[in-house]
Amino acid sequence: MPNALYLIVAALAASFVLGLLSPKRCGIAYAITLVTLAFMAWVSAGWLWAFVVGGAQPVEILTAGALPPYAINLRMGRAEAAMTLLINLTGLLSALYLKESLFKLGHRGMAVLLVAIMAFCGIVLTRDLFNLFVFFELAAISTAGLILLSEDDRALSAGFKYLIVSQFVSTFLLIGILFAYHATGTLNIDTMATSARLLQVGAQGFTLAFFLMFIALVTELKPFPANGWALDIYESAHPAYSAIFSAAAATASLYAVDKLLLIGGASWYPMASGIGILTFLAANLFALPQSNDRRLLGYSSVAQIGLILVVLGQRDLLGESTSFIAIGLLVSHAVAKAGLYWLSGLVQKRNLIDWAALRGHPFLVFAFITFVAMLTSLPPFPGFYAKWELVRMLAGGGRLALLALILVGALIEAGYLFRWFGYILKREPPTEAVSGEVHKLVPVFVAVLAGWALGYLWGDLSGTGRHNLLLALPLVFAVGFLLLDWLPAWVKNTLAITGMVAFFFLTYTEYDPLRLIFALIFLIGGAITLLASYDAHGRRIGFYPAAMLMVAGMVMLVRAKDSFEFFAAWELLTIGSYFLILRGKHSEPHALSYLLFSLGGAFLILAGFAIAAQGVAPFPISALGQVAPSLAPWVFVLLATGFMTKTAAIGLHIWLPGAHAEAETDVSPMVSGILLKAGLFGLFVLLMTMGKQQLYGIELTHVLLWIAAFTALLGNLMAVFQEDAKRLLAYSSIGQMGYALFGLALMNHLGWLMALMFVINHYIYKSMLFLSVGGVAKRTGTREMYRMGGLIRLMPLSFIAVLIGIIAVSGVPPLSGFGGRWIFYNAILASDYRMPMVIIFLAGPVAFLYLFRLIHSIFLGQLKDELRRVKEAPFWIVLPQMLYVGLLLAFALVPGLVLRRVDSYLNLFFPEGGLHWEGFEITSDYGYWNPVAIMIVVAVIFVSLFAWLLFVNRRAQKVKQFNIVFSAERPYRPETTHFAWNFFAPYRKALGFLVQPYATNFWGTLTDILHTAGDLARRLYDGNGQSYAFHFLVFVVVVFGMGL
Amino acid sequence: MMIHLAMATGFLLILIGFYGALSNRNLLRMIVAFTIADSGVNLVIVAIGYMPGRTAPILDATVKAGDAAARVIDPVPQALVLTAIVIGVGVTALMLAYAYKLYEKKRSLDIAKFTELRG
Repeated sequence: MPNALYLIVAALAASFVLGLLSPKRCGIAYAITLVTLAFMAWVSAGWLWAFVVGGAQPVEILTAGALPPYAINLRMGRAEAAMTLLINLTGLLSALYLKESLFKLGHRGMAVLLVAIMAFCGIVLTRDLFNLFVFFELAAISTAGLILLSEDDRALSAGFKYLIVSQFVSTFLLIGILFAYHATGTLNIDTMATSARLLQVGAQGFTLAFFLMFIALVTELKPFPANGWALDIYESAHPAYSAIFSAAAATASLYAVDKLLLIGGASWYPMASGIGILTFLAANLFALPQSNDRRLLGYSSVAQIGLILVVLGQRDLLGESTSFIAIGLLVSHAVAKAGLYWLSGLVQKRNLIDWAALRGHPFLVFAFITFVAMLTSLPPFPGFYAKWELVRMLAGGGRLALLALILVGALIEAGYLFRWFGYILKREPPTEAVSGEVHKLVPVFVAVLAGWALGYLWGDLSGTGRHNLLLALPLVFAVGFLLLDWLPAWVKNTLAITGMVAFFFLTYTEYDPLRLIFALIFLIGGAITLLASYDAHGRRIGFYPAAMLMVAGMVMLVRAKDSFEFFAAWELLTIGSYFLILRGKHSEPHALSYLLFSLGGAFLILAGFAIAAQGVAPFPISALGQVAPSLAPWVFVLLATGFMTKTAAIGLHIWLPGAHAEAETDVSPMVSGILLKAGLFGLFVLLMTMGKQQLYGIELTHVLLWIAAFTALLGNLMAVFQEDAKRLLAYSSIGQMGYALFGLALMNHLGWLMALMFVINHYIYKSMLFLSVGGVAKRTGTREMYRMGGLIRLMPLSFIAVLIGIIAVSGVPPLSGFGGRWIFYNAILASDYRMPMVIIFLAGPVAFLYLFRLIHSIFLGQLKDELRRVKEAPFWIVLPQMLYVGLLLAFALVPGLVLRRVDSYLNLFFPEGGLHWEGFEITSDYGYWNPVAIMIVVAVIFVSLFAWLLFVNRRAQKVKQFNIVFSAERPYRPETTHFAWNFFAPYRKALGFLVQPYATNFWGTLTDILHTAGDLARRLYDGNGQSYAFHFLVFVVVVFGMGL
Repeated sequence: MMIHLAMATGFLLILIGFYGALSNRNLLRMIVAFTIADSGVNLVIVAIGYMPGRTAPILDATVKAGDAAARVIDPVPQALVLTAIVIGVGVTALMLAYAYKLYEKKRSLDIAKFTELRG
C-alpha cells in the first residue's frame, strides 16, 4: 500500500515539474496533471479497499520520525480514505472537464489545480491544528487562483470577496490555534481533545480559543448569513471549479469541523446544530426565487452542508450512526452537486428554463433526475437511507422540533429542484444546443454511475431494520427498463404486462384476503390498463421506467412487513407516478403540486413511523397497535394526514384534478383507478392496526368521518361544474375517495366491506371512464364537453363503456355500484353518527348531475360539423374498456366471488355485523340483496321502456343545427350560447359558494409568502465584499453571544 | 508586563486592521489594512510563546542542548509565526494581483463598484 503521504508529495512534486515546463508544452503538462490526479485517486482507492475489504487498521503517519507534539501527525483511516477518494476523483474528473480552460491557462494553472486538490486532501488527513491552518490557507490561495479560470468577468470580484472573508477567517483561526496551544501545550488534535477534558483552571481562556477556531472553520462551511461570498463564487466560477468547490472543498471543511468538535466536545453540539439548521432553512428559502442555475445550485450546496452540520451536531444522540448518516448525505450531495455543475457547463445559457436544451438527450435528463433524486434523499440513493436513519433517531430521542424543521427545509428544496426538472421536460428548448464534447460527458457519466453504485453500497451497509432496495425484485424490474428503453414501445409493453402478471402468480399465495385484493388491482389491474398502452407508437422513452417504478412501489407497499419497507415503497410509487403525470402535455404545474403534496404527505408518514417506533428497528407495521397511549393519537394524525394527501381528502385535494386530467390517455386510469388505492391501502393498514384513537377527548375516526363526508360532497359538487370531461372525472374521484374513507371511518364490519367494494368498483369504472373519455378526447381533439355531442353513432363502443360506467358510479341498480350502496346503507344503519351521514346522503344525488353530463353532452344531441368524420377510439383503448364492462357485469352478478373471503377475513376485526352469503342472495341484519334477481328486474323494465320509446319516437322531427337563430346576430362567444356550456348554471348560483377555491387559494398564498420571503431576504446579499465581511462579523458576535 | 504590552499592541493592530478593512472602500487601502492585522496576529503569536527571563530558542555555545528546555522560550510559536508570515505574504500578493485585475476591468478601485453578483 503506498504511503498516504504520496497524496501530498505527488501533487507537490508534479506542481514543481509543471512549473519547470516550457509554456508551449501544454499537452505534456495536461498529461502530467491527469496522471497525478489519477495516481492520487488510486492511492485513496487502494486505502479504502484495504480498510473495507482487507480490514486494515487506521495508520498514523508521523513526519520527521517523532511523536506528536514534536511532529506533524497525519492519519489515514476509513473515513479519510473515503473522503480523499471523493476529493481526488472530483479533482480528476473536473480536470478532464476543464481541458480547454487549462490549455488556455497553461501549466501554471494546472499546478494551482493540483495544489488545491492536495490542500483539500491535507485538510482531511492532518491531525495537527497548525497544519490544518496551513492547508486551509493553501486551499484559499489556490481557490482564489482557480476562480480566475472562469470566463465570466464577474468571477474576479467574487474571488476578491472570498479573499476578504478568508483574511478574517485566517486571523481568527490562527489566534485561536495559538491560544489553544498555549492552554494545552499541544497542537495535536487528539492530544488536545484529551487535555481539554482535563482542563479545570483557566478553561475560560481555552473556551475562547476554541470558539475562535470553531467560528473560523464553520465559516468555511458557508453558514448563514456569512456566506454571500460563497454564492458569488458558485455563480461566477467555471462550473468544473464550482464542482470542486461544492464537492471537494465542502467535504474537507466538514471533516475539519468534525475533527474540531472532537476537541470542543458535546457542549458545542447544539451550536453546530443550530447554525446548521438555520443555514439549511435560509439557503433553501433563498434558493426558491432564484432563476440563475449556478446560483441556485450554490444555495442548494450551502443548504446541504448545513444539514450535514446538523447531523454532526447531533452526534450525542446519533452515536455510532453519525458517520453512516453524515457520509451518506455528504456523498449524495457531493456526487449530485458535482454532476449538476458539470451538466451546467453543457447548457449554454444561465436561466433555469434554458435547461430545456437537455430534453433531446435522454441520458442527460436521466443524469439530471438521478442527481435531483440524490439531493432530495429519494430511494434508492444513499441520502434516503441516511434520512430514514436520521429521522428515526431524532424522533426516538424526542427532538421533534429539529425534525420538523429539517423536513420543512427538505420539502422546499424538493420544490425548487423538481420545478426545475419540470422546466427541462416541458419548456421550449432554446436554440443553443447542448455541448456534447466527450471529455465533458465522461464526468457526468461517472457521476451517474457513482450515484447508483453508492445507492447500492448504502443499502448494503448492514443496519438493523433496513434493506437494500436495489435488491428488491420489483424495483430491479423497474430499473431494468432503463436499460431497455431503446426497444420499441410494444415490446416493452409486453414485457411489462408479462412481468406484472407473472409476479402476481408467483406471489399470490403470500397475501391475506385484503392484501390480495390490492395486489390484484395493482398487478392484474395495472396489466389490463397497460393494454391501452399498445396504442402508443415509437419508443416512448421514459414511460416504462416510470410506470414500472410506480407499480414496483405499489407492490412493495402491499408486501411491506415493516415501516422501512412501507415508507420506501411509498416514496417509490410517488416518484414513479410523478414522472408519469409529468408526461402530459400541459401537466408541468400539476405534476409539481402533486409531487409536493405527496412528498409532504410522505414526510408526515415518515415522522409518524419514526415517532411510533421510538428508535426501535425494525418496526413491524403490526406494532402500530402497541404504540404508547400518549403518542398513539399523534402518530395516528400524522399517518392519516399523510395517507389522505394521496386520497386527496378535501383541503389536500388541489393537486388531483390537474394531475389526473392533464395526464396522457393511458396514464389517467393508472394514476386514478390504481394509484389512489395506495392511499386507501395505507388507511386500511392504519385503521386495522391502530383502530380508534382519541386526541384531547376527540374521537379521531369521527373527525375522519366528517372529512370524508365533506370530501364526498364537495368533490362531487366541484365535478358538477366542470366543462372538461377529464377534470370532471378527476373531481369525481375526490368524491369517490370520500365515500371510501367514510366507510373506513365508520369502523364497523360493513363500513370496511363497503370501502373495499369501492376500492374494486372505483378501479374498474374510473379506469374505464378515463379510457373512454380519453379516447373521445383523442379523436375529437378537445376535452371540453360542449364541443362534443352526438358521438353516439360514431363511437358506439365508447358510449357503451361510458353508459355502463356511469350506471355503476351512480350506484343505481343493477350494477355493482348498487351493491356498494346497499352495503353502505347497511353500514350506516349499523353506526350511530348522524350528521356526517346527512352530508354523505346529499352527495349521492349530486353525482347524478355530473354523470348525466358525460352521456348527455358527449354522446347525445347534435353532432358538430367538424366532428362528422370522427372514428371510434383506437382498438387498444377500446379493448380494456370492454374487459372492464365484462368485469363490472361479473362483479355485479357475483360479488361474492371476491367479497366473501374478505367478509370472513374482516371478522377478525369486527366479528359482529357481517353478511350472510347463500347462493345468489346476500343477507344483512337489515335486509337482503339478490344481485341476479335485481339484474333481471332491471333488464325487464329497461327493455319494456326502450321498446315503448322506440314506438313513440317514430313520428319525432329532428331539429337541425341551424334552426336556432340569434336575432340575426352572431354571438360574441358562441360557446356561451351552447346548451351544454355551463350546464348547471342554476345550481352554481345556489351552491357556488361551496366550491370557491378556498384550498387552492390557501396553498397558493402559502407558496407566495415563501417566495416573497425568500426574495426579500436574499437582498441581504448586496454584492459588496465589505457587507459580506460585516455579515461574517455579525455572525461571529451572535454565535459568541449565544455560545458563551 | 512586556508580554501583556506586546499582546495588547497585537490585538490593537488587529482591530485597527479590521476597522480599516471595513471602513475603506479602496481596494489597496483594504489590503494595507489586512497587512496591519496580519502584523498584529504575528505579534500576538510571538507574545504567546514568550517566557520571561529566557533566551531565544537557538542552540549555540551559550545554550546547550541538554538544558535548553529550561532556558529557552517556547520555540513552537516562533516557528509557526514564520510560516504565518510567509502565508500572509502569499495572500497579500494574491490580493494585490486581484486588485490590479479588478482595476484593469473597471478602472476603479472602489469595492462598492463590484457588486454585479448579488442576491
